[in-house]
Amino acid sequence: MSWRSPAREAESPADRVRRGDCWRGVLAASILGLAAAANAACPPDAADGTVVRKGDLLLAYRLAGKTERIPMAQHFALEVQLCDKDGVSAARLHKADATMPEHRHGMNYRPLITPMGGGRFRVEGMMLHMAGRWQLVFEVQAGKEKLRLSHDVQID
Amino acid sequence: MLKRLGLAALLGFAATAFAGADKPALTAAELGRIAAHGPWPLPWTVDPGNRVSGNAAAIRLGHDLFFDPRLSANRRVACASCHDPVKGFQDGRRTGRGLVTGTRNTPGLFNLRQQRWFGWDGGHDNLWSASLRPILDPREMGGKASRVARALRSKSTLDCHYTEAFGKRPAASDPELLVNVAKAIASWLETLVSPATPFDEFRAALARQDAQAAAAYPATAQRGLRIFLDRGQCATCHAGPLFSNGEFGDTGLPFFVKPNGVDPGRQGGIKLLLANPYNLLGAHNDDATRDNATGTKHLRPEHRNFGEFKVPSLRNLRLTAPYMHNGSFATLREVVKHYSELDEDRLHADGERILKPLKLSEAESADLVAFLESLSPREAPPAPAVPPAVAACSVPRRRAPP
Repeated sequence: MSWRSPAREAESPADRVRRGDCWRGVLAASILGLAAAANAACPPDAADGTVVRKGDLLLAYRLAGKTERIPMAQHFALEVQLCDKDGVSAARLHKADATMPEHRHGMNYRPLITPMGGGRFRVEGMMLHMAGRWQLVFEVQAGKEKLRLSHDVQID
Repeated sequence: MLKRLGLAALLGFAATAFAGADKPALTAAELGRIAAHGPWPLPWTVDPGNRVSGNAAAIRLGHDLFFDPRLSANRRVACASCHDPVKGFQDGRRTGRGLVTGTRNTPGLFNLRQQRWFGWDGGHDNLWSASLRPILDPREMGGKASRVARALRSKSTLDCHYTEAFGKRPAASDPELLVNVAKAIASWLETLVSPATPFDEFRAALARQDAQAAAAYPATAQRGLRIFLDRGQCATCHAGPLFSNGEFGDTGLPFFVKPNGVDPGRQGGIKLLLANPYNLLGAHNDDATRDNATGTKHLRPEHRNFGEFKVPSLRNLRLTAPYMHNGSFATLREVVKHYSELDEDRLHADGERILKPLKLSEAESADLVAFLESLSPREAPPAPAVPPAVAACSVPRRRAPP
């Protein structure tokens, strides 16, 4: 199929409908392509933040917004990307949480996870309310398997 | 690189400024942790949940209502009855006394704008809701809408400032009357910022590498600061410029209250908060985005919340004795003794493991007290000035007869 159309005056109404469909298809593909480009972080790169691996699954997380470090005792949001060996993972971020193992307690807040498409998730409502070593914990549902990934962070 | 050079210079300066038997040099980590307790004061921002935050008419109205006993059931109890401006907006009592004696220590009212939760149990997520509760509470002021409206309309300055702030006259039939009054009081309260302290001067001197100014900070307070930061790990909870992380903890104090009751602390506070129509998830929050309601939206009640109380700011302690949620310690020395000899058996079995007995010597206890005292201004701040009346509500001055 050529996108260079023949002389329009030679087109039948059916041709015009088909041509319109084609252009709509191109437009949709472009939008999807752009969205995919925006989400094309598999495998994750430096811009996707910290990468945690479990088997074939890669989880990258970064702070949402302009914050560079996780602030102590303030709410923050995370952007999470899930990838596997084939690219964007079809797995689902099921739970995000944080604990202080030495202190035997977790957060005072329950985060909410919003799927953003393309293996991306937004986690809102996090707060690490004390200085010290925290463990970020992510539970990922990959098919019937539930994977637990964790990463230590030091909060000052 | 510049950062590194700056740090190296600061370390060199710190070593110089602190060398000596009674003033050991501060480490880079300590300097960083000291820096995290400032600067002071913090920048002030408008409360997006209160549409009259920063409004001059509301601030003056809030001030006048704070001192007005006619809001109470017996016309003798004002907000200022318990929150005395010359006592750091505290009352000096073990537990507050409104219409009856309560079970908790009256908190001071400085630096409220920076706080996330209000009350020892965090039963309020905003300052205006926290300001309304004592007005209506039958144990404190026992007020009601009709009484508030009458008080507002009885004085032209109150009536005028209300009208200027809210665009309508006060009416008992207006369902917004009480919340408007609370928002006006909050708009005044959030202007109350405590002055800089000897600790703030020390921190600022370190930041600008002024050894002479830093040396003015007493050696005993410096040693106490080190206990606070290192051995005591007090900044784990008493963090940041406010010396509080704004959250809650169990400090091993009894939660029994007479007669035959218990104070559930944060557990009860969360229940009150979520049932309160004036919380930030409700219709009275003026922030349409609800971004200011993140804490309330994501709250996670836990069993361990029972007996937890808010981590108080350590600023202005010299003005606000007695201490703790139940006012059970008359002096800072008693507070330090509590943490020095902490009975771990009194902490929740399933609670967090943060506190350990500090086992301080007499001299170390005195140092820690000296540090805590350095978090208060040298002199008690005077009662704040009356905010100016807005032009529309100013009473014209009577001209002197010729």
